[in-house]
Amino acid sequence: MASIFAKKRHRELAFIWSLLAPALLIYLFYRVVPLLWNVALSFSFWSPGKPMEFAGLYHYEEMAFYDDAFWTVLANTAVFMLATPVAIALALALALLVDQNIRGRSIYRTIIFLPYPMMVVAVGIVWRWLYNDSVGLVNYALRSLGLIERPIAFLESYDFAMMSVMVAAIWQIVGFFTIIILTGLQNIPAHLYEAARIDGARAHHRFWRITLPLLRPSIFLCVILGVIASFTSFDLIYTMTGGGPGLATELLITYIYKTSFSLSRFDYAAAVTVVMFLLFLALATIANRLAGGDAGKVDIAD
Amino acid sequence: MSLGKIATHLVLILVSVIMLTPIYWVVKTSITGDNLFAYPPSVIPRDPNLYYYVEAWYTVSFTRLFSNSFVIATLSVAANLVINAMAGYALTKHFAGKGLVLSFLLMSMMIPFHATIIPAYLLTANLGLLDSKLGIALPGLSHIVCILLFKSNFEAVPNSLIQAARLDGLSEWRILTRIMMPLSRPAVATNIILSFIWSWNEFLWPLIVVRSPDQQTMPLGLVSFLASFEDTTGALYAFCVLVVLPSIMAFLLAQKDFIRGLTSGATKG
Repeated sequence: MASIFAKKRHRELAFIWSLLAPALLIYLFYRVVPLLWNVALSFSFWSPGKPMEFAGLYHYEEMAFYDDAFWTVLANTAVFMLATPVAIALALALALLVDQNIRGRSIYRTIIFLPYPMMVVAVGIVWRWLYNDSVGLVNYALRSLGLIERPIAFLESYDFAMMSVMVAAIWQIVGFFTIIILTGLQNIPAHLYEAARIDGARAHHRFWRITLPLLRPSIFLCVILGVIASFTSFDLIYTMTGGGPGLATELLITYIYKTSFSLSRFDYAAAVTVVMFLLFLALATIANRLAGGDAGKVDIAD
Repeated sequence: MSLGKIATHLVLILVSVIMLTPIYWVVKTSITGDNLFAYPPSVIPRDPNLYYYVEAWYTVSFTRLFSNSFVIATLSVAANLVINAMAGYALTKHFAGKGLVLSFLLMSMMIPFHATIIPAYLLTANLGLLDSKLGIALPGLSHIVCILLFKSNFEAVPNSLIQAARLDGLSEWRILTRIMMPLSRPAVATNIILSFIWSWNEFLWPLIVVRSPDQQTMPLGLVSFLASFEDTTGALYAFCVLVVLPSIMAFLLAQKDFIRGLTSGATKG
């Protein structure tokens, strides 16, 4: 009797693991192994067709002391990250507006979210043209409003290029953040507001004391997604500016791409990647802590 | 209508105009070729026609780009459905090592694919899959968010139903395909839409992996079109509209599933 159960249990286990196997293999070979390989590469001298040699901290020293471009690119990535708080503030305002009981709110929601599923390559090409100095809509609108006198070549300008790309990035992501915050808003129990109203709390008190604290997990999820976006916004930079003018809009990810796939310096690019990954982990951990360990928490309670 | 509501509408209309203007401008230009040279530009399309769509169709080998992207997206959708549903079902069961599997998945979720591109490229090269559709699709054949979505959908299926099926002698595999899947329509829909849009829009990975024009996907075709013609051809914007259309359609057709998929796997409270 016991052996029948044991056999059945054994078969069930084999079944479970065979169900899991394909997914686990994909993540093993396209996430975990590459990550470790990348770390190994960053401590080596290697180029295609040559044997790997131990390099110690050579690439990291080059990055820290001899590569000015790296520091520029790092600073650019930090600046690009500032698009996130702006997008979150806008999204919070929009979420509060479309959460109200007004006519046509689902249409507003759809419109605000519409840019998000679009192919970023197409979005970049379109925005690049909107910013054009002779035929671009942005210049036309600003001139019609009397805000500028002569057209500005936004994407060729050291002063404006980064900001212009950030505007396009915000345009695309703000709807996604709005939906996340809206979901958070709808999860706030109504009786909390009622109790506050009975206690005579004013509208702005209710916002600061109830809404905002309870939205913390949603807001910090947006922070994490924004941090990820600033480390992965390759498509937008590639199509809008190519990192230019000079290095004005070069981000870590585009720098890694160019260093590895254009210059074939895979080992050095791997070291930059390690730095990028560590920065991402640090920022994500901080954001998660600030959210009370709840940001983007997936429900895995068993 | 109260004053507050009017103000709300005014703000939302202004925002909607800002969000829609770039889209409207592209569509308008793609059917008129207008305001590439004309100044000041006209707001209403004059003399709309499909000339630039025809031009885009013939200048780039549109059907090849489309079919490449479509085959890869189909492969990705099918694989995601099978692999994620299997893994999600396994994770509803209790077994030794389950905690380990879950933490492995959550850890993998914290590794952005962008942080692994160099070894991923070398690995794909070693597998001999550079410049192939399978090589392009491979890293996106499963998405962890969708596994977790299946898991929570499956867990909502009443246990009594599964017990009854077992008493009727249904095998575990049949329980998954005949009972769990049909009862988890929302998860299935979300899985299909998300994996389609992600595969369709992917740019960096195909850019790295693809060598020959034969294997180019839509975004690669768009970029090489931009590189070989100046960016003031109406055809470029017709191309942009055509490229964006499938993901917009997928989104509009199943808006609720799409948004729930994006947020439910991720947010809590």
